Amino acid sequence: MARRRTYTVAMVSDYFFPQPGGVESHIYQLSSKLIDRGHKVIIITHAYDDRKGVRYLTNGVKVYHVPFFVIYRQTTFPTVFSFFPVFRNICIRERIEIVHGHGSLSSLCHEAILHARTMGLRTVFTDHSLFGFADAASILTNKLLKFILSDVDHSICVSHTCKENTVLRASLDPLMVSVIPNAIVAESFRPRNYRSSPRAGANGFQPDPPARPLAPHEMITIVVISRLFYNKGTDLLTAAIPRILEEHPNTRFLIAGSGPNAIDLEQMIETNVLQDRVQMLGPIRHEEVRDVMTRGHIYLHPSLTEAFGTVIVEAASCGLYVVCTQVGGIPEVLPSHMTTFAKPEEDDVVAATGKAITAMRAGQVRTEKFHDQVKKMYSWSNVALRTERVYDGITGTISEEDFYGFDIGGYNGSRIRDFTLIDRLKRYYGCGIWAGKLFCLCVAIDYLFFLFLEWWFPRENIDVCPDWPRKPSADEGSSSVDGDAKRASSRA
Amino acid sequence: MKPRNSVGSSPLASPKNSLEDWENRLIGKTLHATDTGPTTFCIKDLPGERRIIKPNDATTEDYIEERLNVTHHHHHHQHNEKDALTAMPSHTDDDESETPFPTLDLHVSSRLASGLLSPDDAFPPPHRAPYAGDSASELGRPRLRRLHSDQGGSRRRKRSWKKLMWVKQSYPDNYTDQATFLGDLQRNPRLKPYDFWPLVADSTVILQHVCSVIIFVVCFAFIFQDRVSPVSIVSWSSGATVAGWFVWEYWVSREDQNEDPSSLGTSVATVVVGRSGSLNRRRTRAASIRRQTPLRSESTARYPPSGLSAPPTKLSLTDVSANSSTSNLSSAGRPPPTTVSTPSLRTRLSHEMLSSPSETIPPFNPGEINHFHERLGTLKSSALIYSTLLGLSPILKSLTRSTSSDSIWAMSFWLLVINIFFFDYSGGVGAKFPASLSTNAALMASTVLASRLPSTTQVFSLTLFSIEVFGLFPVFRRHVRHQSWQLNVALTILLVLGAGLGVGLVVRQREDGGWNWTSGIVGMVISVLLAVVGTGGCSWWLIGLQKYKNEIRGPWDPARPIIMNRQRWDDK
Repeated sequence: MARRRTYTVAMVSDYFFPQPGGVESHIYQLSSKLIDRGHKVIIITHAYDDRKGVRYLTNGVKVYHVPFFVIYRQTTFPTVFSFFPVFRNICIRERIEIVHGHGSLSSLCHEAILHARTMGLRTVFTDHSLFGFADAASILTNKLLKFILSDVDHSICVSHTCKENTVLRASLDPLMVSVIPNAIVAESFRPRNYRSSPRAGANGFQPDPPARPLAPHEMITIVVISRLFYNKGTDLLTAAIPRILEEHPNTRFLIAGSGPNAIDLEQMIETNVLQDRVQMLGPIRHEEVRDVMTRGHIYLHPSLTEAFGTVIVEAASCGLYVVCTQVGGIPEVLPSHMTTFAKPEEDDVVAATGKAITAMRAGQVRTEKFHDQVKKMYSWSNVALRTERVYDGITGTISEEDFYGFDIGGYNGSRIRDFTLIDRLKRYYGCGIWAGKLFCLCVAIDYLFFLFLEWWFPRENIDVCPDWPRKPSADEGSSSVDGDAKRASSRA
Repeated sequence: MKPRNSVGSSPLASPKNSLEDWENRLIGKTLHATDTGPTTFCIKDLPGERRIIKPNDATTEDYIEERLNVTHHHHHHQHNEKDALTAMPSHTDDDESETPFPTLDLHVSSRLASGLLSPDDAFPPPHRAPYAGDSASELGRPRLRRLHSDQGGSRRRKRSWKKLMWVKQSYPDNYTDQATFLGDLQRNPRLKPYDFWPLVADSTVILQHVCSVIIFVVCFAFIFQDRVSPVSIVSWSSGATVAGWFVWEYWVSREDQNEDPSSLGTSVATVVVGRSGSLNRRRTRAASIRRQTPLRSESTARYPPSGLSAPPTKLSLTDVSANSSTSNLSSAGRPPPTTVSTPSLRTRLSHEMLSSPSETIPPFNPGEINHFHERLGTLKSSALIYSTLLGLSPILKSLTRSTSSDSIWAMSFWLLVINIFFFDYSGGVGAKFPASLSTNAALMASTVLASRLPSTTQVFSLTLFSIEVFGLFPVFRRHVRHQSWQLNVALTILLVLGAGLGVGLVVRQREDGGWNWTSGIVGMVISVLLAVVGTGGCSWWLIGLQKYKNEIRGPWDPARPIIMNRQRWDDK
């Protein structure tokens, strides 16, 4: 078999360490695993406080912190062109082939994709969130997304619901959108008393120990870890907790997280005198999540919208039975024996939690097996493998028929996005009556700007930086590399 | 894509042909037990592998190759069961038969009928119609095969695709399942088409408000031009306000009589009992949670007109005083509350107590006392407002002396525009202090306008008049609309005519300074015409615009949580 082609990839997003969060860890883990597979990955983000310039993270992940003006929640100010000189410089220095942007609210990512197309690079965009279509903010964001994605080579979404949403929002060809889920570092989310090889018996075919039902007087702890915002369903939680506790003696709640709706919870606790049964831990760091989770039996996730819901995977991996609302991409994430679904209604959340408590008490749920099952379902190596296929597809390593195989003949017979300016303009022009013309204007100016930069800072004068020594590309499906991630998160 | 062409892409050549064959032989026939004729078909002649699906029969969705599904469709004839038949081979390339395919009914061309959208609908231009016919699927099939052989290896048949992420599927990541993709999408799920006349009727609210604003401006112009004595304006309007208040009182008391008379006493008592201790309160609240559900709609509907707390006509001053008087009432006879709570929390509590029936009620009937207190409060607060305004008028007079009149006209214009645009037109009778931005803008406009006037009397009159027009009149209008339809129409006509007349009188005046009635009448006619054209035209336009409505809903929208006893936490 021929040697696999490797790429130099630039991940661009506003959201990266030191800020915690789902997108941030996604970028880091994916980059790290891609490096393990022999690719070269750099990350471009904006400067966080004094964290400017170039940094190296574990596993040779190189991070460029570009000084940029941050307006709101670590999102940079959307200037259409100002990122181009720096970005071009970085791309030439690092000999970038593929620009991979993350996060549909990140203006840095949008700019990078636009400029990358102008420079003739392949682009991928990963969408991590869901948006509605009704309110003004969504309409603006959707238009912007349409602008960016009308010329992107391929998009990645974290769930099928997210894919449907993105396809609708940006009017994309569904075949040009892949679904690659998030993953977790299973080693960081082991249940308590977890033995790494439960079947280390004499012959390896030891029968499973029988399920141990909980005694009726044994305390069942229900864990909630979420930012306490409206869209995380804190209102539902506030309404449901007193009723759950009233109906089920010997249960208690453990709530971690902070946010504007924390005050409602506290008020509820005081009004109902539940101080001894509801414990609020306040904000916790991501490293502590596992320790909090393993203190409980059931994880309650009352969110109102969720693209993927990594936290319920983490909870299941910690051996918790998951009760969650059936919204967004959540129904796709976990198998039914690990979850009880509820409608986003107070009564249904109470009923579902009651069912879960009963099932736990009856010993019907084999939570001790969850960890191994989840480990098989989600791993970052798998995500990297699947992302690599996307890279293969857009760069032409896999032929177009193989990549888009089962439905050939998309746009004018080809889904390969060529770089001719006139073709690009055609794609942008279709974005809307007024928006299309505006976008074309932006792209044309961007192109002129590019020509100007080529003349002002010639390519020859930009140094090419030496690469971090690449690893010999790992074998397919090797899972031994998972351990690196844990070490990595400690070092900045 | 697979389910759609599963007829054509069958590994065996026969089913398609035999399907057509069976179609020709069966469709439109009546099944008969024994004989085959021109209109009947014998059941025994059907192939061995078959099933006959009657209307409303429960069927399993498993697929067995070479089985013929015969579907009955009733055509309601009197004497015999005349069935149209649809032949349908049931076939799959999935042994495990996990996820049922959508039924391939030849009779209904299914997708659009079932509300499912194909991904093609997401594109603006119709690039292609790849899944429409057999030819396209035939074209795609060799590729499909090759892809499968790349990935699947020796497996000849694949499992069906599932919309799940935790299973490893043998489909590529960008696979798009034609059957389920965008299956949960809804378009215009809550669209209620408008009717013309109800729309016109509803638009009278806007018309009334615009007209009352115009009348206010006209009155200011009269005062400013010294054509009308400000005292006469304010006394007329105050008289009207008092009359309106009596009418309102009458309506409210009449509505109270329609309700259960004991409910008021009960709820007041509950407030008092519930407040006496936190333990007791908790128990009552818990009781209210359980029992509330059936009662709730009733009690919320009953609550606003029952007028336990401040009636909606009063401005904030009144509200505060009424509030304090209620708390005086409760704390006089009872021990003070054991828990300290903020006033807002307390009122919230009282709301919640209102809706819960209590067992331990001392029987007394405070309804009359309550009404009396209420009226007293209203009188008190109106006296307070009156004297405050009187005291403030000299200050208001010189408020904007250093500002040029042009700025004042522009400013008050914009403030009145804000008033009109932010007014709460949808508010029902029970709405308390709706659209504070709108009311405040109007009061500010009247203040700056009043500051242009030379004498204290004029300033006082105009400000008082503005409070009556912008603060109290909307409440009265709401009640009028609630009470009777004819009154509402009459009020609208009156306001339109009044506004027209006023504008007519303001824009043209006789040389000797008298009233130019001709111009006034012309103004009335024009205003009526404008009102008719405006309401009718805008309603017609709005109905015409409905066809552009395209609201998309789906699983990605944030869910709207349904919380039973929400008013405990926020009163909104």
